[in-house]
Amino acid sequence: MKKKSSLLSEQMSAQRKRLILLGFTSLALGAAITVQAVLLAEAVERIFVQRSSLASVAGILGALIGVMAARTLLSYGNGRIGLQMASSAKTSMRAAVLRKLSNASMPMSLRGQTGGKVSVALDAVDEADSYFSQYMPRMMEAAVIPVLILIMVFAQHLNSGLIMLATAPFIPIFMILVGLQTKNKSEEKFAQLAEFSGTFLDSLQGLVSLKLFGRAHLQQQAIERSSLGYRDATMGILRIAFTNTFMLESIVMLSIGIVALELALQLLVFKSLSFQTAFLILLLVPEFYSLLKNTGTAFHSGRTSMGAIRKVEELLAERSETEASLTNWQDGGENMDKTQQTEQMDPADTPGFADRSSIRMPPIIELRDVRFRYAPDSFELAVGSISFGAGEQIAIVGKSGSGKTTLLHLLAGLLKPTSGEVLVNGRPRWQMDEALWFDQVSYITQHPYIFAGTLAENIAIGASREVSRGEMVEAAKAAGLAVVADELELGYDTPVGEGGRGLSGGEKQRLALARAFLKRPAVILFDEPTVGLDLHTERVLQRSIAELAGSATMITVAHRLYTIRHADRILYMDDGVLLDSGSHEELLARLPQYAEMVNAQRKGGFA
Amino acid sequence: MSELAILTKAMIQERKDIAIAIVGGFIAGIAGVSLFSASGYLISQTVFAPPLYTLIVLTSLVKILGLLRAASRYAERLYSHRATFSMLSRLRTSFFAKLIPLTPGILGRNRSGGLLARIVGDVESLQHYFLRVAYPPVIVVMVFLATVIFTSVFSIWIACLFVLGMLITAFVVPGIVLLGQRRRQGRVREKRAELSTEVAEMLYGYRDLKVYGQMKKREQLLQDASAALAAEQEAAARHLLRGQSLHAFVAYLISWGVLVLGAVFIMNGSLAGVFLAMLVMASLTVFEEAAPMATLPAYKQDSEHAANRLAETVLDADRRQPQPSGALSTDKAVSVELCGVSFQYEDECRPALKGITLSIPPGSKTAIVGPSGSGKSTLIDLLLKLRVPTSGLIRLNDISVQELNEASIWQASNVVLQHSHFFRGTIRDNLLLDEESYTDEELAAVLEKALLPNKSLDDPVYEKGENLSDGEKQRLALARVMLRKGRLWLLDEPTSSLDYVTEQRVLSHLLTEAADDTLLLICHRLTGLEKMDRIVVLDQGRVVEAGTYTELMEQKGYFYEMKLIERQMIDEA
Repeated sequence: MKKKSSLLSEQMSAQRKRLILLGFTSLALGAAITVQAVLLAEAVERIFVQRSSLASVAGILGALIGVMAARTLLSYGNGRIGLQMASSAKTSMRAAVLRKLSNASMPMSLRGQTGGKVSVALDAVDEADSYFSQYMPRMMEAAVIPVLILIMVFAQHLNSGLIMLATAPFIPIFMILVGLQTKNKSEEKFAQLAEFSGTFLDSLQGLVSLKLFGRAHLQQQAIERSSLGYRDATMGILRIAFTNTFMLESIVMLSIGIVALELALQLLVFKSLSFQTAFLILLLVPEFYSLLKNTGTAFHSGRTSMGAIRKVEELLAERSETEASLTNWQDGGENMDKTQQTEQMDPADTPGFADRSSIRMPPIIELRDVRFRYAPDSFELAVGSISFGAGEQIAIVGKSGSGKTTLLHLLAGLLKPTSGEVLVNGRPRWQMDEALWFDQVSYITQHPYIFAGTLAENIAIGASREVSRGEMVEAAKAAGLAVVADELELGYDTPVGEGGRGLSGGEKQRLALARAFLKRPAVILFDEPTVGLDLHTERVLQRSIAELAGSATMITVAHRLYTIRHADRILYMDDGVLLDSGSHEELLARLPQYAEMVNAQRKGGFA
Repeated sequence: MSELAILTKAMIQERKDIAIAIVGGFIAGIAGVSLFSASGYLISQTVFAPPLYTLIVLTSLVKILGLLRAASRYAERLYSHRATFSMLSRLRTSFFAKLIPLTPGILGRNRSGGLLARIVGDVESLQHYFLRVAYPPVIVVMVFLATVIFTSVFSIWIACLFVLGMLITAFVVPGIVLLGQRRRQGRVREKRAELSTEVAEMLYGYRDLKVYGQMKKREQLLQDASAALAAEQEAAARHLLRGQSLHAFVAYLISWGVLVLGAVFIMNGSLAGVFLAMLVMASLTVFEEAAPMATLPAYKQDSEHAANRLAETVLDADRRQPQPSGALSTDKAVSVELCGVSFQYEDECRPALKGITLSIPPGSKTAIVGPSGSGKSTLIDLLLKLRVPTSGLIRLNDISVQELNEASIWQASNVVLQHSHFFRGTIRDNLLLDEESYTDEELAAVLEKALLPNKSLDDPVYEKGENLSDGEKQRLALARVMLRKGRLWLLDEPTSSLDYVTEQRVLSHLLTEAADDTLLLICHRLTGLEKMDRIVVLDQGRVVEAGTYTELMEQKGYFYEMKLIERQMIDEA
C-alpha cells in the first residue's frame, strides 16, 4: 500500500481504541477457529477411531456448538467494529469537507464545479467506507489469525508447519504481482470508462439535436460499437487478473495437496502421526489459506478507498495558500496589537458599531489601497484608495471581465483583499463581527438563489430575525410579488426552488427585492440585471431600487444608462484597474473610453 | 417481476456465455467439495493402513481436483464477466433506442441534466444483477444438489440435512435479510439525496446565505444531515452483516448436525466410520461455496431499484402510438397556424403558453420577442412536435401536426435550438449531422458564411463542444443549419453570444439563405427587427402584441417600452 495520507493517519489515530479492540477480537476469533478445529478433530477421533459412545462425546459436541456460536459472534463483532470505524470516519471527514465548503470562500464556490464538490462530499466519502469496514478488519484478521494457526500446526507437527510457512509468502507475492500488472492498465481503463460513460451521457444530452438531424439511429449504432469495444478492452485486463488469480488458487490448492500428501505419508509410511493430529491439520490448512486469500479482496477495496480519501484530502488542502485572503474575518486579529484587541472584544466602546440603531445609518465605506487576486498568478484587481460617503449612490461600469463583480464582492466582504483594507466608518471591517456587518447589507444579484422551501420562507430569509407574516407580506407587496402569490393556489406557502415550482427570471428578481425590503439595509450592493426581464419587473425594479436607496449607501454594477445618470459617482473599471471616477458629465468630458461606452450604442438613432 | 424483463431478455441473448459460466461454476464448486471430501476420506483411510497405491491415487486425485477447480473457476469468471459486459452494452443501446421517442417529453424544463446522468448510472448499476443476483443461486443450488446426491449414497438423513441447509442458506436467510433491507436501503437513499441536495444548495446559494447570515445555521443543518446519513448507512450495513453472520452460523450448525447424525449412525452401524471425516469436510466446504448468497440481498435491492426507475422512465415508450404517415412537403415554403394553443409542463403548476393563436403565411419572416420565461422556446418545441400541446391545434401547410410524421417535420425544418449540442469529433462531423454529402469546398464556403473562416473542417471538437466559445458554437450551429434543405426555419436565439456587427452579418447571410422560406426567429435583443415582416411579442405565455416594427413603435405598447429599456442598456460586448 502506498504511503498513508495524512488524513488517513489522522483518522486511524482517532480510532486507536477501536483498532486495539479489533486486535483483541481477532485474537479471540483466531482462538475460536483453532478450538473449533481441535474439538471437531477430537469428536471425529472419538467417534470414528475410538468408537466411543454418543454420551461420551456429548460434552465435546456441546462445546463445539458453543465455540461455533462464539466464532460467529466474534466475526460479527469484528464486522461491527469495522462499521463503527467507517461510520465515525465518514462523519468526521464529511464534517471537515462541509466546514471547508461553508467557511471557505467566494472564489471556491464561484469556480464552478459544484457537481464535483458535491460528489466529493458524498461519493468520495462513501467510497472511503470500505477502508474502515473491510480493509482494516480483514487485514487485522490476516495479521493475527494465521500466526495463531501456524503456531498450532507447528506445535502439532513440524513438517506441515514448514510447508505452510514456505508456501504462505507466495500468496502476497502473487497479490502484488497481480496488482502491479493490472494497476496501470486498469487505471487507464478507468479513464476510458469515465470517457465512455461520458459519451453515453453526451449522446443522451444531444438526443434532441440528433433527432432533428435524423441521426439518432446512427448514434445508437455508435453506442453499441463503442460499448462492445469497451467490453473487449476490459476483458483484456480482466483476463490478466483472472490468470493471476488462477495461479494463486493453484498455489493454494497445491499447497493443501502437498500438506495432505505429507500427512498421509507420515501416517502410513512413517507412522509418526496420529489420525487426530492429521485431521486437525487438515481442518486448519484451508482456514489458513482462505484468510490469506481474503486479504487480496480487502487489499483491492482498500486501494479504491485510498484513492477516494486522497480526493477528500485534495479538496481540504485546496487553496489553503489564499485562505488567508478569504473571508475568515477574525484571522486578522492575530496581527493586532493589544489595544485593538480589547477594543474588538468590547464593541460597546466603539461608536457606530455597538448600538444597533446607529448601524441603520448608512456607513462611510472606504477602500485603502485595495488589491485582490484569486491565485498568485491570476488576474489582479487594483482599486487603489477611494471613499464612499453615507447614502451615496455609486455606479460601477466597465466591460465584462473588467472586475466589476469582484469589486462588489470585496465591498460586500465576501472576499478579503490580498493587500490593503476596507474601512467602515473609519475602522477596518475585519474587526467587525461578521454577522453584524451582514446584518446591514443587502446584495441583490442577477441570479438570486431560491432555496427549497415556501415562497414565504424564501422572503423571510432576508431578515436575520423572526418576522411576522404581516411584515413578510408587506415586503412582498413592495417588491411586486403579491400578484404572483395571489395567482398561486397555496399563495405564499407554495413550495419553490428545487423540487418546487419554478419562478421566472423576473419573479426571482422581485423575490430578491422583497428580501431587501424586509431587511431595510444600510448598504445595498446591486448587480443590475442585463437582459430578459419582463416590463412589470422592470418597472418594479426602478421604483423599488429608488425607494430602498433613499436610506442606504448603494453600490451598483450598472448596465442601464438610467442608473448611471442618476448615480452620484461612477467608477470606471478597465482590466482590473479603477481607471477613473466621477459624475456622468465629468467622465464624459475627460474619459474617452467612457464616452465611447455610453454613446457608441449600437441601438442607434436614440434621441 | 416485469421491471427486470429487459434484463432477462438481455440475459437470454447471452445464453452461450452464461451456460459456459454456469458449467464452469458448477465444476469449480463440485471440485472444491470433492477435493476436501477426498482429503477427509484419505486421512481416514490411513487408519486402516491401506496399500500405498490407493494413497497415491487419492493424493493425485486431490491435486487434479485442485487444478480442475482453479481452472474451471477461471473459465467461470471470464465468461460471466464477458456476458455481463455484453449485456450492459445491449442495455445501453436498447435504452437509448427507447429514449429517442421520449425526449424531450420526459425532461422538465430545467432538470434534464440530473435525469440523464441518473439513467447512465442506473444502467451501470444493472451490471451487478447478473453477476451477483441472478447467477449465484443457480450455482449454489446445483452444487448443493450434487452434494446431496453424493451424500445420499451414504446416508439419506445426512442428505436431508444438506437439503435443509440449502433451503435455509439459499432462500430463508436472504429472504429475511431482504425483508428489512428494502426499508433500510430506502431510508439511506432518502438521506443521501437529502444531503446531496443540501450541499448543492449551499454551494449555489453561497453568496445569499453569507449575506443573509444563514451560513452557520445551514452548516449545522448539513452536519446533522451528514450524521443522520452515516447512522442510516451503518444501520443498513449492520443488517447485512447480521445476515452474513446468520448464514455462517447456519453453515456451522449443519456441519455440527452432520457430525452428530454421523455419530449416531456409526454407533448403530448404518454408516462406516471411515466416511465421517469426509462428510464433515463436505459440509464445511459446500457452505463456503454458498457464501455469495449472503451478499446477494444488497445487490438485489440496488439493481431492482435501478431497473424500476429505468422501467418507469421508459414506460411510455411501449405505449406510444405509432407515428402517422402524413408528410410535410419540402416543395414549398411552409405555412404555420396556431389555434388556441396552450401548453403546461408536467412539473409546473401554471401553463407556459396560454391560448396562442397565430397565423404565419408561407415565406414570411417572423420575429418572436419577450422576456425570458415567456414561452418562446416552448413554442418551437410544439411546432417540431417534440412536445404535444395541452390544448389547441397546430397546422403546418394546413395539415394538423397530429397527422404529420414527426420525422418529416424535422426533415422539412432547419432548426437552431437555444443550446445546440455538439459531439466529440471534428468540425466536419458536427456539420454533417444530416446524411447528405457535400464537397469540402461547399462546406468551407458555409463556414465562411457563418463567419467561421478560421476553423478548418478537421479541427477537433470536444465533448459538448467544450473547446469552442459560445459565439463559435452558435456560428457552427448556423453553418450546420445552412446546409439543410428544409423550408421552415426555426431559430431560437441563434446569435445571442455574438457581438452586434457579427450578429448583423450572420443574420443577413441567413436571411438570404432563407429568402424563399418561412422563418421564425426568437430574439433576445430587439435590434435589426426592422427587416422582419412581423414581430410577435410574448409575455407570460400570451401574445401581447403583434405587428411590423413601425406599427409596434407607433403603438407605443409593450414592445416600445421594451425597446426603451434596451436603449438604456450600455454596451457590454
